[in-house]
Amino acid sequence: MATLIDKRPATIDVASLVEPDRTHRSIYTDPAIFDLEMDRIWHRTWIYVGHESQVKEPGEYYATTIGRQPVLLTRSSDGKFYVLHNRCAHKGALLVGDHCGKAKELRCSYHGWRFDFDGKLLGIPLEHGYDDTRFDRTGPEADMPRVRAESYRGFVFASLNPDVPDLKSWLGGVASSIDNMVDRAPEGALEVAGGVMRYEHDSNWKFFIENLNDMMHPMVTHQSSSLTARVVAKKELPPDAPVPSAIEIIAPFTESYSFFDDMGVHAFDYGHGYSGGKTSIHAKYSDIPEYNRRMDAAYGTERVAEIMKVNRHNTIFYPSATIKGAVQTMRVVRPVAVDKTIIESWTFRLKGAPDEMLQRSILYCNLINSSANLVGPDDQENYRRQQVGLHSTGEDWVTMHRDFGKDEEIEPGHFYARGSSDISFRNQYRAWKKYMTEGARQDVR
Amino acid sequence: MSDELEFHHRVSQFLFHEVRLIDERRWAEWEALFLEDGVYWAPATPGQPDPVNHVSLIFENQLLRKVRIARFASPAAPSLQPFPRTAHLVTNVMVDRRDAKAVAVSSRFLMAEYRRDAQRFYAGAYSYDLAPSGDSFRIRQKKVDLINCEGPIESSSVWF
Repeated sequence: MATLIDKRPATIDVASLVEPDRTHRSIYTDPAIFDLEMDRIWHRTWIYVGHESQVKEPGEYYATTIGRQPVLLTRSSDGKFYVLHNRCAHKGALLVGDHCGKAKELRCSYHGWRFDFDGKLLGIPLEHGYDDTRFDRTGPEADMPRVRAESYRGFVFASLNPDVPDLKSWLGGVASSIDNMVDRAPEGALEVAGGVMRYEHDSNWKFFIENLNDMMHPMVTHQSSSLTARVVAKKELPPDAPVPSAIEIIAPFTESYSFFDDMGVHAFDYGHGYSGGKTSIHAKYSDIPEYNRRMDAAYGTERVAEIMKVNRHNTIFYPSATIKGAVQTMRVVRPVAVDKTIIESWTFRLKGAPDEMLQRSILYCNLINSSANLVGPDDQENYRRQQVGLHSTGEDWVTMHRDFGKDEEIEPGHFYARGSSDISFRNQYRAWKKYMTEGARQDVR
Repeated sequence: MSDELEFHHRVSQFLFHEVRLIDERRWAEWEALFLEDGVYWAPATPGQPDPVNHVSLIFENQLLRKVRIARFASPAAPSLQPFPRTAHLVTNVMVDRRDAKAVAVSSRFLMAEYRRDAQRFYAGAYSYDLAPSGDSFRIRQKKVDLINCEGPIESSSVWF
């Protein structure tokens, strides 16, 4: 039912904003809800920070955010990685002002306090000034506070709330997507390579996350790029010419509804999920023979067949990250405001694989994830249209009814539906509601 | 000197003509300025050594340029409704190298884009690798180094 006047109650009853089959429009438009999401989701669960390969050597650091809070991923001289609050213990200035680098120590640009890469205070100018005061130079208040952090096969997540389940339990059914991406490397390891693109969206972060496994949108949103690419390639290329990699990448976005239905969507606790599995829009890329040779040599043909038969599209680590294991790309969500989100795109080298594999990941990123490509701007424009459209009080609810009640529970906590189902949305908002209401109890301290 | 002046004039006129074709949406004429194996490249990192081992905002050969042009004509592209208007300003034109087969030219540019009730600006450097062709030139490579190429950067669809 529509409300005539857009009035916000004095206190928000978040539980009332999400029902199993629909969401209230205010969760996308209300800055107060965004504030609550920061506190109750982004500052309370595992958030992707970076990859261990970004800090290979002691002294290397990578600066990013968890929700609204600035943090650092570092490598210390003990060989371990740490996630630290990027904040000087003195007067709170950022200790690192750039994105990444390597240093001898972390020295504050304001008053010269110095810290080690495990967060321990190294020194203060004129330190004796703190003698006989309540400030304990050897106590925790003198260090850069550590954030609870764990790595799953190189992917580092951190949580500002120490009271979370261990990372692997939290990942649950989507840990296997990381496994499959790493297993595709002849040496069984990945490293970040090829740079990063940062794409600014003038829309709420949840539109991006919802869209990832929305299998009803590609053939409509991407008609102008994908279908056009098919037509132009057919016209321009000789009939017997091999299909260029770029066309292999763009064309499947306008596969049929039945193709996307068959890909299917899997859903797990905490809002996680993936589309594809037995097949996906990445299944028909041309072979790179040298890669196949190295994989066979590393694992044997039987194991390689097992690895390659898993072909997933987007895997969501709700709320902060998504990977495409079959093309070794990752996108990371950095919410800025209720209507502003930055999406980072990363590519990975499969260690031991020929350069052509990384080059294909890069080509994929250029074509699909760049802010200036043929595909992303149409997604972004549709999110923006939602962002504006949902200010309408003509109707308060957003539907997630497609195939409601038809999800199949394959095993406890693992649900499956055909690709056209709204299962991915319903699953995300089941988690959203849980975080937002359980977080409420934790807020009262 | 007069030969150099005349050459500089011809090069500048070519650069102005190239961006004018974008602003006037004369896509087929614009595309025809490129050699068949010519490339358009907008790196995503300052000083990026190559377009193959590092992500780029745009790295397009002839086929991809033609796909983009065909997309411009599609009624099904929400981000192009209405179609953005652009004005490219080119200045600081310098001929860096010149021989019978290749001319290297650098310049600075500013592109204003009007889209969805808002005006945006992109600025940076153009580097051209040109092939002399009669009285004019063909493009072997146009490289666009945006000063903010590593972002965060909003959607754009028209060539810088």
